[in-house]
Order: sequence, then C-alpha cells, then structure tokens
Amino acid sequence: MLEISNLHVAVNGTPILKGIDLTVRAGEVHAVMGPNGSGKSTLAHVIAGREGYEVTAGEVLYLDRNLLELAPEERARAGIFLAFQYPVEIPGVANIQLLKSALNQVRRARGEAELDAMDFLDYVQTRLALVGMKEELLYRSINEGFSGGEKKRNEVLQMAVLEPRLAILDETDSGLDIDALKAVADGVNALRSAERAMVLVTHYQRLLNYIRPDRVHVLAAGRMVKSGGPELALELEKRGYGWLGVAEPAAEARP
Amino acid sequence: MRIASESRAPYLAAGRSAIEAGPSWLKRMRHEALENFLRDGFPAREDEAWKYTSLAALEKKSLHSPGPGPEFLPDGLPPGHLLTYGNGYVLKRSTSLPDSMLGRMDRALEHATAPLSRHLGTLAGKESALVALNTALWREGALLHLPAGWRVSEPMFIVRTITEEAAMVHERSLIVLEPGAEATLVELCNGRGEYWRNPVTEILLGAGARLLYVRLVEESAAAAHTGALCARQERDSRLDVLSLALGGGLTRQDIALDLAGPGACATLNGCFLAGGRTHVDHHTRIEHSAAHTQSREVFRGIAGGRGRGVFDGLIVVRHGAEKTDARQSSRNLLLSPHAEIDAKPQLEIYADDVKCSHGATVGRLDAGQQFYLQSRGLDAVEARALLLRAFALDALAAVPAGSLRAWLEGRVEAALAALAGASPP
Repeated sequence: MLEISNLHVAVNGTPILKGIDLTVRAGEVHAVMGPNGSGKSTLAHVIAGREGYEVTAGEVLYLDRNLLELAPEERARAGIFLAFQYPVEIPGVANIQLLKSALNQVRRARGEAELDAMDFLDYVQTRLALVGMKEELLYRSINEGFSGGEKKRNEVLQMAVLEPRLAILDETDSGLDIDALKAVADGVNALRSAERAMVLVTHYQRLLNYIRPDRVHVLAAGRMVKSGGPELALELEKRGYGWLGVAEPAAEARP
Repeated sequence: MRIASESRAPYLAAGRSAIEAGPSWLKRMRHEALENFLRDGFPAREDEAWKYTSLAALEKKSLHSPGPGPEFLPDGLPPGHLLTYGNGYVLKRSTSLPDSMLGRMDRALEHATAPLSRHLGTLAGKESALVALNTALWREGALLHLPAGWRVSEPMFIVRTITEEAAMVHERSLIVLEPGAEATLVELCNGRGEYWRNPVTEILLGAGARLLYVRLVEESAAAAHTGALCARQERDSRLDVLSLALGGGLTRQDIALDLAGPGACATLNGCFLAGGRTHVDHHTRIEHSAAHTQSREVFRGIAGGRGRGVFDGLIVVRHGAEKTDARQSSRNLLLSPHAEIDAKPQLEIYADDVKCSHGATVGRLDAGQQFYLQSRGLDAVEARALLLRAFALDALAAVPAGSLRAWLEGRVEAALAALAGASPP
C-alpha cells in the first residue's frame, strides 16, 4: 500500500530525513519509534502533504501512485489520514460541519453518494460510540477549548468517520492519561482491518501495550536504524535508545 | 477648509429647499449647520481622524440633491416592519406601527412633541462638518420612537436606495426608545452608480431600554458613504450595534456610543470587507461616563486586491466611571500582498478600579488551519471559505439565532464569496 524508498527531506535547507525506506502492506500496523528530533513527525507530515517540506531525493508510492505529486486534499480523498500530534483549533467552524464536508468529499472520491443530514447523523452516532466521545463536542468549534484527551479522541473520531485506507497517527499517545490512552487505543483497534494499514508514530512504548504492532522501526537522526517485530518496542522500553548509538537532541525541527 | 465660493452653489441650492420646510427652531438649526459646513468644509488629511481617508475626490465632484427614486429590496428580506426610501424620500411604509412610532421624521416634527425637538441634533457631533451638512440638508428623515415599555419583537428594516448619478443624499434617522422599550432595527444602504450618501443616525435609549441596531452597507462599487452613528444610553439600557460594510467604493463610519447611565451595557461589533480598490474606514468611540458600565467591541476586517481597511477604536473611561468593564478586539486578515489594513486601538482612562483590555492583529489566514482542513479532504478553496466565514461571522455574535441572523450571515457569505473569488489563494 505504501512504499517509501530512499526518501530525503529538508526543511529550510536543513536535511531532516536522510534516506528512509519503509513498506507498509494492507492490514498491517507499523510503529515508527525514535527519540525527539529524529524526523518522525516530518515523515508523517510529508506523507500527508504539508507545505514546507522539501523532498530532495527518493519516492513515495501509495497504491502504486506517486503520492508526492498530490495535493493534501487529494491524498485525503485517496484514503490517507493523518491524526495530528497537535490538533488545530478552528474557532467558528463546528466539528460536525468539518466531519460532514470531509466525509462527503471522501465519499464522492470513492464513487459513493453523499449522505443527507439524517443519515449522516445516524452514522456519526455509531462512530461517536466507537471512540467514547460526548455528542455535545460535535457542535463545538473544532478543538476549541477541548482538553488534550478530547482533542486526540476527536482525531480518532475523524478517522473513524472517514475510514481511511492508510492512517498515520502522529504521537497520538502523547499527553494522555491512562483512561484517555485506553479509549484512543480501543478506537484504533476497532478500526484495524485487513484492508486498512496504520502507522503509529510514537516516542514511547506505552501505546504499544494497547495496540500491538506487526512491525516496529526505529528512526534516528533521519535514518531507520533498526526494524523488528513487537519485541523491539519492549527492548527500547527497557534499554532506551542509547544502545542503538543514538543521542537525543533537544527539540524536533519544524518548518 | 472653507468651501470655496464657486463650489458653494449646490449646497446653497439644496439648503434653500430644505430650510424652507419645518418649524422655526428646525430652520434655525439647519441654517446654522449650513453656515458651519461652508465655513469648515470637508475634513482634510491633516486632521488626525482623517489621516487614512481622503475625501478630496468627493469634494471635487459636482453633486446635486436628487428627486425621489425607485426602491431596491434585497433578496430574502426576513419578515418585519419595513420602511423604504429612494434617493432619500419615503416610498413605502409597511408596518402595523403608527406613523408616530415608525415613519417620516419631518412629519413628526411638524406636531413637534417635546422629546423629539429636544433630542434631534443633540447627539451627533456638532464639531463634524459632515454631520452639519446632514443637519442642514436632510429631507424626510426616519423616526423610530417607542413609548415606555413598548416591545416590538419583529425586526424593523429601513431600506435606503440611491439610484441617481452624481447625487448627494443626506439621510437622517432618530431613534428614541423610552424606558423599558425594546426593538431591533436594520438600516440597509444600497444603490446603483456613482453617488454620495452621508447618513446620520442618532439613538437615545432610556433606562432599561434595549436595541439591536444593524447598519448594513451594500453600496455600489462607485459610491461613497460617510456615515455617523451616535448613541446615548441611560441607566441599565443595552445597545447592540453591528456595522457590516460589505460593499461600496469608499466607506467611512464614525460611531460614538456614550454609556451615560450606571449599569448601561453595549456591544459594538463590525465586519468590513475591502476588495478591489475599496476603502473602508471605521472610527469608533465608546465613552464610559457612568460607573458599572460594560462594553464589548469586536471588529473583523478582511482586505483583498488593493483594498484598504482602517479601524480606529477609542475607549474613554471618564472620571467617576468606576467598575467600568471594557474589552476591544480588532482582528484583520489580508488576502493579497497589495491589501492593507491599519488597526489602531486606543484607551483613555480617567477613573480607578476599571477593567479594560484591547487587542489588534493584522495577518494572513493561518496555514496550519488551512492544512488541517485540507488534510481532511476539503480543497483549498473550500477550506479558505470556511475559515473566512468563521472569521467574519465572529462579529455577528450579538445577533440572536433566527431569521434575521441567518439572513445577515447570508449577506456576509455572499460578499465574502465575491471577495475571495477576486483574490484567489
């Protein structure tokens, strides 16, 4: 489904990713782990199509198409979803308004009919239950005044509504207490399916206690330094990143 | 600057016919006002309040006072009381309210009931030459006068249309709500061609009265609109003002509210769109003259093309106005590299124990918000439209949900679509 080969990405002329290879097949869940500043979020944003990231070499194929030439909305309509590490607040735009516009765009792209208001509401109700979110949050402005946990849950709700083929979850576990973490993990697990692939980008192993990945990769200083099965995550938890010869820089580069 | 003798003719001609009519006290008032205008002339750029807005082109035009013209009602006007004007003359009155409550002001002044003659001209700044010209030249005028305790639930619409080329129209409204009265009034200004509208509205709210007042400016792209709105609020009254400047070549609004009685409360909100070569300038002044008064001011400006916006908002807290609570927010968006908005918040505080805050920003659409929406499948145009709509409609917060609110939102959305279409991302 997703084939990344020799991907080099620079931000403001500074190389961040220095030759990434990653293959994700339908039905698989991959975890990309690594210390702060290793380029994890950059990888997630490049896949989603954010501006400000310059691809200097390599390619990204998604369902055998060149992903990098697509606009962000085209990627979304083709089934890619990024759960943001820092979900954006948009005062004045109701959550439900975004969900409806987004779903109808994605459905149109899939060749399905748009849902009318009633069918849409029925559908959203089932998705709310899946992520354990209060209905009241649908009518609030997008993420405005939401707690950290509510924001992350809202990302998982959007994912549940849009039913992407490839979901990238960027640090979805960060800043969550244990209950919120479980709720988010339950939502993600409910969405696992043979047709859907997921990439969990995370610093810590604890999310992987609840979502068992098929493959674990360690990204450090812009390179994949190690790949393995779920046991690799446990080893990282025990030993940290030091044994891989990786130092943790202070902050992650952003465009 | 004094009006040169060779340029006086149109003002003298208009003044002669206007001053003929009405009771003697009004004739005197008009006569004096005309003298003041001819002496002071149009405001000049040297005047700090007119630093960003030039009336030089307007001053050079040869304008005349037109006769009556046709009305133009916008689509989907919600149900309510209606008064229409063409070129400053009443065309239609469609309301269950008597003439003495909603109707022509000149008629009402003939049987001059005391409160009207007492109020007219007392609020609008006598120091303003444009207000003086209006005082001298207004023709039929509009009056809204609700007796104590009267509550009119349906909105009232005064639709003012100008269709004559090179016309100058000076429209006057007086709104007096006696204690406890309540109303919603929309003054809509539209038109066709090149003209100058110079309207003045005075609002007086008695104790505990409530008014939602909307000025909706949808002038033609070649028109100039210089408006003044002055209000005085007695104890515990509430005034919500919304200024929507959605169309016109040059728009200038001078809005002054005086919270004169303790417990008075006001919102002064506005949204202006400046595209093409449009120029929109709001000067606002909120005076807290009494203790325990509250004001909230929210302005949202969007400029595209070579559009130019100005927001100059002054809040004055007078000596003795303890426990004043005033907040002002001016946020502005630029959609093109040639657009410009100047935002100037000002506070003057002469009392202790007050809460005042203001904030002003000028920036571009947030790229992070735009990307977030696009990453969910919305295209760039749709994402931008959602963000612009949310930004602009912030200013409508004081209009309660209902048919008026929905209609106003529609007017803003239509104007936004035109602006965004002309300023592609």
